[in-house]
Amino acid sequence: MSDIKADVTMDLKGLACPLPVVKVSQQIKKMQVGQILMAETTDPGALADFPAWAKTSGNEIIDTVKDGTTTKFFIKKLK
Amino acid sequence: MEREKVLELKQVIGKKLNRPMLYYLDLCTRCGLCYDTCHVYQGIPKKEYSPVGRAEVVRRVFRKYFKPAGKFFPWWGDAHEFDENLMEELREAAFSCTGCRRCTMFCPFGIDMPYILGIAKELLIAYGNAPEELVMLADSAVEKGKSIDMFKEGFRGVIKDLEQEVQKLIGASSSDGLIPMDKKGANILFVGLSGAHSIIYPAAIFNAAKEDWTLSYFEAVNFGYFAGDSEKSNFIANRIINEAKALGVKEIVIVECGTAYRIPKFLMGPLPFKVSSIVEVIYRYIKEGRIKIKQGIVSEPVTWHDPCQLGRNGGIYEQPREILQIMANDYREMNPNCEYNWCCGGGGGLVALDNEEFRIKSGKPKKEQIEKSGATMVVTACENCHLQLSTISQGYNMGVKVESLTKLVGENLII
Amino acid sequence: MLGYLSYFILIPMVYIAFATLIFGLIYKFYIIWKAPAPAGTGAIFPKKGSKVSGLIYDAMLVPMAYTKQKGFWFIIMFFHIAFFFLFLGHLELIADFKFIQIIPHRIFLGGGLVGIILMLATLYFLFRRFGTPYREISIPEDFVILLVLFFCILFGSILHLAERYSDWGAVLRVDANVYRNWLQSLIWFKPQLSYTITELSHFTILVLHVLFANIFLMMFPFSKMIHSVFTFLAHYRKRN
Repeated sequence: MSDIKADVTMDLKGLACPLPVVKVSQQIKKMQVGQILMAETTDPGALADFPAWAKTSGNEIIDTVKDGTTTKFFIKKLK
Repeated sequence: MEREKVLELKQVIGKKLNRPMLYYLDLCTRCGLCYDTCHVYQGIPKKEYSPVGRAEVVRRVFRKYFKPAGKFFPWWGDAHEFDENLMEELREAAFSCTGCRRCTMFCPFGIDMPYILGIAKELLIAYGNAPEELVMLADSAVEKGKSIDMFKEGFRGVIKDLEQEVQKLIGASSSDGLIPMDKKGANILFVGLSGAHSIIYPAAIFNAAKEDWTLSYFEAVNFGYFAGDSEKSNFIANRIINEAKALGVKEIVIVECGTAYRIPKFLMGPLPFKVSSIVEVIYRYIKEGRIKIKQGIVSEPVTWHDPCQLGRNGGIYEQPREILQIMANDYREMNPNCEYNWCCGGGGGLVALDNEEFRIKSGKPKKEQIEKSGATMVVTACENCHLQLSTISQGYNMGVKVESLTKLVGENLII
Repeated sequence: MLGYLSYFILIPMVYIAFATLIFGLIYKFYIIWKAPAPAGTGAIFPKKGSKVSGLIYDAMLVPMAYTKQKGFWFIIMFFHIAFFFLFLGHLELIADFKFIQIIPHRIFLGGGLVGIILMLATLYFLFRRFGTPYREISIPEDFVILLVLFFCILFGSILHLAERYSDWGAVLRVDANVYRNWLQSLIWFKPQLSYTITELSHFTILVLHVLFANIFLMMFPFSKMIHSVFTFLAHYRKRN
C-alpha cells in the first residue's frame, strides 16, 4: 500500500476505451497545481497509457500500486 | 489573421490535395441529395450539420486560396478567407462528423465528404483549435509507441493476472500461457484496447479454438486518425504494423473497434499479412467447427447495430448476424440496416469529447430505429458504438441493454 | 460595331471557347494525375456489379438518387438524356451522320421537344434552389450556370422552333446548309460568315445563342459542370 494521500480519487474500473485517460485528464484540469489524483483502473493498457499520457501532458505519476487486477495511479499535477 | 498564419494554413491545405481530394473538392453540384442522410442533421436539422454544409466550409477556403475565381471573384463560389469565425465553422463541421460515410454512399457523384473534412481537421491542428482530448490521446499513443520497451514488463505482469480470468471462462486446468505475448511466427497477432474486457474474451475464444496467437503491446484504436493528424495517425498505425512484421505473423486480428479495423485493412496500402476483425475470426471458427457456442442463450428481443466502419466501410454484414442468430431466440433487424444503417453518432472519436448533449440529439435516428425494432438488447462490435449506444439508451431513458458480440460469444463458449 | 461584335462571337469566340474547354479539361486531368495517390482505398460495401459495369451503372444511372428522391431522379434523367439528343442534333448541323439517321428525321430529333424539356428542367433546377434547404446550400455559381444554360437553350429553341414551325421559317426555308457552311468553315480553320448567315431573319438570336453556348463551354472545366467527368473517378474510388 502506498502512504501517499490523494486529494481526489477516481474509480475507472471497467470503463470502455478511451474513457479512463479522458476522465483523468478532464479531472486533472479542474485541480490545483501540486494536488494529487488517485485513479483506480483495471485496464492492463493503462500501465503504459497513463505514463505516456503523463509525459505528454506534463504531469507526474508519483506512484503506481498494483493490487491484483486493479492498479492505482497517483498523479501529481505539475502545471 | 496574420499573414504568416494564413500562409501556413494554405500550405496545410496544399499538402492534403492528393488525387481524390482534388476531384472531391471540384465535384459537388450542391444537388442537396445528401442533405438529410446524416444522422446529426436528423437530430439537429441545421445546414451546418448536413454533409454538403460541412464540405462547403472547406470548399470556401479552398476556392479562396487555390482557385483564380475565388481570388478575383470570391462571390462566384462564396469563397472566404481564413478568420476566427471560419475556423470555428471548420471545427463544428469536422467534429460533428463521425466519418460513417452514409452521405458518401448516397451522393450521386460518390463524393467522400468525411475525406474532405480531413482538410478541416489538419487546419484545426495547425491553428491550435483541434479538440484537446483527441490531440492528447494521440500524443499519448505516439509517446507509448516511442517508449514501449519501458512499459513491456509491467504490461506482461498485468496480463498474467488476466490469464486467470481467461482460465475461469474456459475452465482450463492452468492459467499459464493463456495470453501469449512476443510469440514469433504465431498465426495471429491480436490487437486489443486498453480495457481488460477487450483482451479477456478474445483470449478465451482464441484458446477455445486452439489458435496459435499472440497479444500486441499496443491498443488498436488510432486517436491520431480521429484528431485528423496524418503524421501521428500513420505513426500510431505503424506501431502495430511494425510489431506484426517483426513477429512475422500471418494475420492481425483487430478487437471490436471500427476505425482500428478500417485503417490497416483499407487505408495503409498493401501489407504482408491479412487484416481481420475479431467478428470475422469468430465466424470462421464457428464455420470450421473450432468453437461451439450455446444456442438460444439470449431470450429477450435482440438486434444488431452495424458499426459503420465494419459494415458500410468494411463489408462485414452477414457474419455478426449469423453468430448472433445462433445465440438469440428472438433476433430482430433494425430498419434501415446494413449499408443504409444509421450511424449511432459515436464514431470519429466523438465519444471521447465532452459533448454528451450533442450526441444524445444526434443519436435520435438510432434511438427511433431501436425502438421500432422492439429489441431490449442491442449487440454491436465497436467500442465507440457501444459507448454511444449506452449514452443514447440513458439519454432517452430507453432501458436498452448494450452488449458486445465478442463478450457474448466469450461467455457462452461450449468447451 | 454590332457587326464586329457578332463576328467576334460567331468566329473568334467559338475558337476561344473550344480551346478553353479542351485545354481546360486536359489541365484539370493533368493536375489530378500529377497529385499524389493515397495509399488506401475508399471502398463502400457491398460493391454491387463488376468494377466497370458497376461504375457505369453508378455514374450514369445514379441509382442512389433514385432511392433518395424518385421525382428528382426522373427530371435529372430527362435532363441529361435531352443533352445527349441535343449533342446529336448539333452534330447534324455540321454534317450528315448516317448513324443518327437510322430513324430518318429532319435535323434535331424530337422536333423541338428536347429543347423544351431542357428549359423546363433548367427552370425546375433554378426554382428548386429558391426553397429550403437547397436555398441555404446554393452559391452564386449555381444560379449563374443555370441562367446561362437557360438562355442558351431558350435562344437555341427559338432558332429551331421559328425555323421549323413559323411562317417565316417556311418562307425563308433555312436549311441546315446555312449552318453547315459556317460550322465547317470553323472546323477547317477557314472561318467565314457568308451572307446566308448574316442575312438570316433571326441572326441576332443566333448570335445570342452562340454567345451563351460559348460562355457555357468556357465555364465547363472550371465550374461544377466538371461533375460530368469527375463523377467516374469518384465512383471508381468507391469500388476500388
